This record gives sequence, structure tokens and C-alpha cells, in this order.
Amino acid sequence: MTRRGFLALMAGYALLVALCIGTLEREGDLSLGRRPWENLKASAAEMSRPSLVDIWFGNPRLEYRSEDGRVLRVEDRRRVEAQFAGALLEACWTTLRIATLGSLLGALLALPLALATARNLGAPRWLSLPAAFMLNVSRAIHTLVFGLFFVGIIGLGATAGILAIAAHSMGTFGKLYAESIETLDMNSIEAVRAVGASPLQTFFNAAWPGVLPQLVSSSLYVWEFNIRDSTVLGLVGAGGLGLLITEAMALFQWPRLATIFIALISLVALFDAASRRLRQALL
Amino acid sequence: MNAAEHAINIGELSLALGGRQILRGISLLVAPGERVALIGRNGAGKSSLLRVISAMIRANGGHVQVLGKKFGPGLPPAELRDLRADVGQVFQGLHLVNRLTALENVLMGCLGRERSLRTLLRLYPDPEIRLAQGILASVHMAHHAATRVDRLSGGERQKIAIARALMQQPRLLMIDEGTASLDPYAAREIATLIGNLAREHGLTLIAVVHSLPLLPLMADRVVGLKDGTLALDQPVDQLDQNLIESLYR
Repeated sequence: MTRRGFLALMAGYALLVALCIGTLEREGDLSLGRRPWENLKASAAEMSRPSLVDIWFGNPRLEYRSEDGRVLRVEDRRRVEAQFAGALLEACWTTLRIATLGSLLGALLALPLALATARNLGAPRWLSLPAAFMLNVSRAIHTLVFGLFFVGIIGLGATAGILAIAAHSMGTFGKLYAESIETLDMNSIEAVRAVGASPLQTFFNAAWPGVLPQLVSSSLYVWEFNIRDSTVLGLVGAGGLGLLITEAMALFQWPRLATIFIALISLVALFDAASRRLRQALL
Repeated sequence: MNAAEHAINIGELSLALGGRQILRGISLLVAPGERVALIGRNGAGKSSLLRVISAMIRANGGHVQVLGKKFGPGLPPAELRDLRADVGQVFQGLHLVNRLTALENVLMGCLGRERSLRTLLRLYPDPEIRLAQGILASVHMAHHAATRVDRLSGGERQKIAIARALMQQPRLLMIDEGTASLDPYAAREIATLIGNLAREHGLTLIAVVHSLPLLPLMADRVVGLKDGTLALDQPVDQLDQNLIESLYR
């Protein structure tokens, strides 16, 4: 690209950004609200003491009283939060199951589509064009939209979440797989063919070892991404951590939201550490 | 010697690729056990000639007979694979399977004769493993059997590529620039190794060579190509220096 072309492109981009800001401002949608700092400080203060802490330091006899001073209910905060922690662990497990099974299904669906769209394999256009279209559609529709769609069809629960994750990540898997296949060293494949190996032997001895580490690496990356994605799915009733997030937000239980975030961050960090080690071992 | 008994029998061979004439009317007879060096400028057609002999590309005209088998459109895939199993090749660029060990790369040489399903999982019979280990030792690479080939030096990778070709137990060995990108000492070592291995195993050898001082180490006969035609064919100890220089002008 010429220098003038690049400058024109940058000018076009600056114009688009200015247009976005200008129109949103005119429609009054670019406001931070009336008291953003106060709201932020109040939320931060609420979340600064996660409900998790109550398991050890909560009031064992928290009394709820009526206006005239009568004791309506006595709550053991330690026991209540311990029960919530149990439900939280169960939700983490559900989220992990949704992400794992959804990723596996998405990867299985994506593999033949990737083989059809990888340019170096030279699939016929009547096969590669519909495959590329399916992958594009899958990537274009957000997991949440797929979630709403599947909840509408098969009802609330983890199965809808699994299908939503599979439907969206199929597109991502397919694109990454096709790119991995395109980086294959065709020369080593020709060399194995040249020793008199059959097509199957050539595939498993030359192509597969070359492409497998990248396929596994991409799969781990998308799987990890899907763990984060599947928490959002709870918002539309597909189960898991998202369901607890919806409840906590609806009841303004910020300390519980903080606990849920701690669980989510720990889950993703643990998976990230494990997958990074596995990727390093493979590459 | 009867024409059919030659390891390579090529007559009036022509090849055009992408609208460009690569080989023009090449005729060549190579006896079994003969060691031939192919020389010529870049683009003279040396690598293409090797690819035609190994049936990786098909010629447009003339006839090609390798190890008694005549190439043609009617040659069934199974027979083609059998023929390829008899022709060991070391490619320009080596084309090893990175991420696999030296031993695994060498073992692939037996895929032409070992057809069991276990080979799809890269599991080989014990006699083949012992043979591969022996060949690795013969190219002085036994200590690197378990090393991934992408962690080896250029010279070491060259030896693994040669070992893979030898693992085929070929009757014909073809080497395309087997000493390219090596330092002079390593190039001399590899050239001597190739020449000696071919002699010891009684292999017919066709080697593309760019470094002229290496010719006596590898070959008994030198064939020169210029612009796709055969321009020189002499024993290595009777080479006409003027003819050689004319190849590179």
C-alpha cells in the first residue's frame, strides 16, 4: 500500500470514529449517568468484601427484625454462605461441562468443514464454498443468540448451552483448523509419498504429526474461551455460573457477585495455566 | 547389456511445465551399480529429470524405464508405489517430518514394503526398528536416534535424509544437492558417505552435485545438462574442463 493510500485509510477510519461519537452524543447515549463516581465507589465498596469471607467471619446469629423490633428470623451467615459456596462449585462444574462438551461437539463439526476450506487441500468449489459459508454464519452469530435460540427449542438447561457453544465455536474451530492445515509442510508429505507409502500411511505419518500440535493448541485456546463464554449463557437460562450471576445482580447482592467473579477468574486461570503447559509440551 | 537390464533407460525425453520447456530430447542409459553425478547451472533441468525418474511428474514425450518398469499413464497406483519403494530419494531441502525423531523419520523408509495398519500409528515390527538403528549407526547418527529432527544441525539432518532413503533398501538412490548449504568440511564428509554407501550396497546412484571438487568422491561418471539438453557425459577421471566450463556459461 502506498503512503497516500495508507493516509487515506487512516483518514477514513478517523471519520468513522468521529461519526460514531458524534451521532451517539447527539442521541444522548454517550452519557456516563448522573453520579458515575459515586455509583462506582458504592459498587466497589459493596464488592470489596466478597460473601466468601462470611464462611469464616460471618455473624452466626444475624437477626432480621420487624419495624417494631420483633425478631422475624435468625440466620447463621456462615452456614448460608457455605451452602452458597457449594452451589457455586456445582455451577462451576456445570459451566465446565457445558464448555467441554460444547467445544468437543464444535470441534468435531468443524474438522470436515476445515478440510473442505483449507486452500492447500484443493477441495472442489461446490464443497468449499458452502463449507466456508457455514463457518462464516457460525462465527457471525454470537453464542448468546444461539443460546436464546436453543433454549427456545429444547428448553432451559445445560443441553441448550452445549449446543449454543458448539454452534458458535464450530466457526472459530473451523477457521483455526483450516489455517493450521494450510501451514502444513507439503514437501515432507511428498517425501513420504516418494518412499512408496499409501495415501493413508502418508496422511498419518507425515500430515498428521505436522498438523496435530497446532490443532490441539487451537482447540485448547477455543475451549478456554468457551469457559468464559458459557458463563454468559447462564443469563439466558442455559445453566452454570451465569444463572448465579443473574440472581446476584437481580437481588443487588454485590458481595455474592464478587465471590462468583473470584470463582470464575480462578476457573479460567487454572485452565489457562494447564492449557499453556500442554501447548508448550506439544510445540 | 540389454536395454531392459539397465537401471535407468531414458529415450528422447521431453518435459514442459507451465508453458516452459524444461527437458528436450534427453536420452540416458545407466547401468546397475553405476554412480552418476548430474551437473549443470540452476534451472538446467537436473531436479526435474530426477522427478521424472521417480515418477513424481510425468514427461510429455519420450520413454522412461526405471528398474525394468516402464512409466506410462496405465501404470496402476500399487505398481507405482512398489517402484517408488525401490527408488530412494534425498530431496533438495531434505523434506523430513519435523517434530518426529530421527529414528521415526528413518523408519518411514520402510513404508513402501511394510503395509500393516500398525504403521498408521507409527508402530513398526522389531526387525525394521533394528534395521533403522543399524542404518543410523552407519551414518554416525545412532546417538541422535531419539532427537527430534528439527533440533539437528544441517549436516545431521542431511544424514537422516540419507538414512531414510537407505531404509528403503533401494536399488536406485537419487540425491538432489545432497551437500547444499553445508560447510566445506561437512560437504566432503557427506559426499564421501554417499559415495561409499552406494559402493558398499551396490546401489545405482544419481546425484545432483554443485561442488565440482566433490565429484570424484561420489561418482564414476558425470552427466551435464544445459538448457534441458544433455551436453556432457564422461567418466569422472576423464573430464574435459572446457566442456564443464561451457555448461556454466
